[in-house]
Amino acid sequence: METSAIGQARPQINAREKVLGRARYAGDLKLAGMLHARLLRAPHAHARIVSVDTSAARALAGVRAVATGADVPDRRWGVGHKQQHVLARGVVRFVGEEVAAVVAETPEIAEEALDLIRVEYEELAPLLDPALSLDPGVPQVHEGGNLSEEINIDRGDVDAAFAGADLIHEETYTTHSQYPGYMEPMATLAEVDGAGRLNVWTSTQSVFLARQRLAEALDRPISSIRVIQPTVGGGFGGKIIEERSSVIAAFLATLVDRPVRLGLSRLDDILSGCFSVPATIRLKMGMTRDGTIVAKEVDILADCGAYAGLAGEVMTVTAMRSDNMQRIRNIRTRARLVYTHTMPRGAFRGFGGAQMSFALNSHMATMAEMLGLDVIELHRKNAIGPGETSVHDWKIGSCELPACLDQVSEAIGWGEKRSRAKAGGVLRRGVGMAAAMHVSGNRTIGNWDGSTILLKVNEDGRAVVHTGESDMGQGAFTMLAQICAETLGIPVAHVTVAAPDTDNSPYCIGTLASRVTINGGMAMVKAAEEARATILAAAAAKLGCDAEDLALVDGVIRSADGAHTAPLAEICRYHIYRHGGEGIYVKGSHDPQTVRFDGDFRGNIAPAYSFAAQAVEVEVDTETGQVRLVETYLSDDCGVAINPLAVHGQSNGAAVQALGWTLYEELHFEGGRVINGNLADYTMATADAVPMMHSMIVEGYEPNGPLGAKGASETAILPGAAAIANAVYDAIGVRITDLPITPEKILAGLAELEEASLA
Amino acid sequence: MSHHWISLTLNGETIEAEVPANRLLSDFLRDQLALTGTKRGCETGVCGACSILIDGEVSKSCLSLAVQAHGKTITTVEGLAQGQALHVLQAAFMEHGGLQCGYCTPGFLIAAADLLSRNTSPDDAEIRKALSGNICRCTGYQGIVDAVRAAAENLNGT
Repeated sequence: METSAIGQARPQINAREKVLGRARYAGDLKLAGMLHARLLRAPHAHARIVSVDTSAARALAGVRAVATGADVPDRRWGVGHKQQHVLARGVVRFVGEEVAAVVAETPEIAEEALDLIRVEYEELAPLLDPALSLDPGVPQVHEGGNLSEEINIDRGDVDAAFAGADLIHEETYTTHSQYPGYMEPMATLAEVDGAGRLNVWTSTQSVFLARQRLAEALDRPISSIRVIQPTVGGGFGGKIIEERSSVIAAFLATLVDRPVRLGLSRLDDILSGCFSVPATIRLKMGMTRDGTIVAKEVDILADCGAYAGLAGEVMTVTAMRSDNMQRIRNIRTRARLVYTHTMPRGAFRGFGGAQMSFALNSHMATMAEMLGLDVIELHRKNAIGPGETSVHDWKIGSCELPACLDQVSEAIGWGEKRSRAKAGGVLRRGVGMAAAMHVSGNRTIGNWDGSTILLKVNEDGRAVVHTGESDMGQGAFTMLAQICAETLGIPVAHVTVAAPDTDNSPYCIGTLASRVTINGGMAMVKAAEEARATILAAAAAKLGCDAEDLALVDGVIRSADGAHTAPLAEICRYHIYRHGGEGIYVKGSHDPQTVRFDGDFRGNIAPAYSFAAQAVEVEVDTETGQVRLVETYLSDDCGVAINPLAVHGQSNGAAVQALGWTLYEELHFEGGRVINGNLADYTMATADAVPMMHSMIVEGYEPNGPLGAKGASETAILPGAAAIANAVYDAIGVRITDLPITPEKILAGLAELEEASLA
Repeated sequence: MSHHWISLTLNGETIEAEVPANRLLSDFLRDQLALTGTKRGCETGVCGACSILIDGEVSKSCLSLAVQAHGKTITTVEGLAQGQALHVLQAAFMEHGGLQCGYCTPGFLIAAADLLSRNTSPDDAEIRKALSGNICRCTGYQGIVDAVRAAAENLNGT
């Protein structure tokens, strides 16, 4: 091949259909006879459902079905905690909880019918503040109390280490909930076909986890359900297994003998959507004079809202992931997850890492200043390195964190900007940085993290890849096509990746934990190697030479001496004719050599770990309190970048998402009710609000990854908030410890400084 | 609900259709004409996923009624390419990482087409301002800005 299939910027293999407007998302799909569903949501944060009268709604012309909690399966579904019915039964636990559903001939009729449903509630006192959740006498969200989960981790001798520290600093940081904000609101099309099977097209990050959850929630056999993934318009963690609308849509399809589509409006999606887990983090850290971290004590209170979902797993990440980035040995951590009568929270890009990254990196910057050290040197001093085993027994393979630190500090002119004289005036600039780590893969969903690829090489020499791993927009299919092309020896354009479909795809976990490139990619390497060996053996038989002398390059088979040559298509046809009609159809499976956490949260859970650093410059308007991001440089250690265009796109998108969380996005509640459930009032950054994004890649080589690659993208969302907070501090001397950083907090901080200076 | 006959030029073809008086233009395009490239993202005129060109100017189709399209010339994302030949913006979005999940892409393409029809050599600030009525959650906008700049340069032969 003239150029390698990997390592160069390459458009997504499905980019053309996307720019043509012809990619089909779940809400674009239509089946003959399709009906439309709409949902009635609870207006109270906590109430008993006294009665539901659906008679008028049922009587409306064009209404085909009305369902309430009385109609749904008795079995409760959930991730770890089995807490939810398909529709609320008996009690509602947050404003927006789905109480009833209508299926009708048109969306307009369904909406009209919702207005005719009469629900009588007995309002109950809600618990809205997680800080009060464990107090005696407060409202209980579930029987068994408001504590959902508690974890405790104790490593080394924390008290002795603190006693020996030269500097101890303690601070409490609060982080808020972020909406994933995928541009495609949740949509599902479901039908029970003539054979009685339930077919579901839904916007999901995992068809197999979706099928498993539907089987549980609808209480029917797994194999009676088929889940097919259309093009997905973004997920960011919110479309793994916590959203509820696909479950409701599938249930409604079982009530009627026609297809049902449920497309959420943006308000619906926000009210039911899976926001990230807000956490309050008390962090106490001890260092020796030279900046070595000797002890850490952490106390976390996280809020999962009304139902636990994946929030327990998210909190575990908040509690211990960043410990593994540094050589610290003495740690005491307590983390508690509590219920409130608010919307359920859970998985979101970074999976709890961003919360602690904000606290840790804010803390490191503060302590660096106290010790008179440069924070970048502090990171470098404590950074774990390749070949080391962390405090929680994580085995670090490749690690280019020091190179990431070099890259961002050089790019932004760190030394020069840090040492410049502080100008007064209205607009003041400052720089800040942060560093973070993330997993590539995670052995937590059952005791495995495997992936399988089925690879078919057609009679024309072109390949079809079958996978259960999902492309939600991040470019997973392109990554697989590139690895397939590179390993097999055909052009990328000759590879098609079939959309995940539980009937036709091999079982895979799906897109979460930055696991698809490393684990799906390894399965792809194995499958392509198997196909190549099969092809070369067939070619050797046909050409009368040794397979070892043959190579497959750019779709052509050649012997080293040039004496033998054959187009791939010819050998593929030959294989069919001479192997009893068997085409080239092989599989590759990969389950990394990792372990599940033991009872004490120890164990190497991922085959590789990714690192990132970010440096930013901000400008603070001291009159209005506005913070503007002036420059940002983000460096990602993702191993070999299979597709740099995709890595840069992921890093830039993550950096802007982090910027939104830090400065612009804030969910507002009033009595448990979301009062800014629309994109005008929940403000995600637009193009004019962000500067040129500089994304950089430090290429290492990950020995456990496909062609040297590991996960990209999630790591990149982790450093942003602290980098901005640190830059704000550098600019104006105000340390913001509670996100988001709003103009009000900036002005209050400045006023406090002024008062202190006058005192 | 009263119904109305409307006539308009859509992606270069004259079409006639009967629409209910309250049908949104975005719903008319998507549900009645199966032009699903125009997306529903917020239905409040904020996200721009439903952007189309009406008489050459960018407009959010969730904010107008189908009956208001009577007599107008409309271009949706499906009307940008000429047969198999991509519009210069479509090719640039592909090449420069102007899209990931693709859901916002039709709206951005339309907003960018509107910009380039008014300003053939926009600088980055002008590009960002022209695209500020659209939201993308995947790209951080850099790939989109790069793509629009490259498309303008391509059109100008620079």
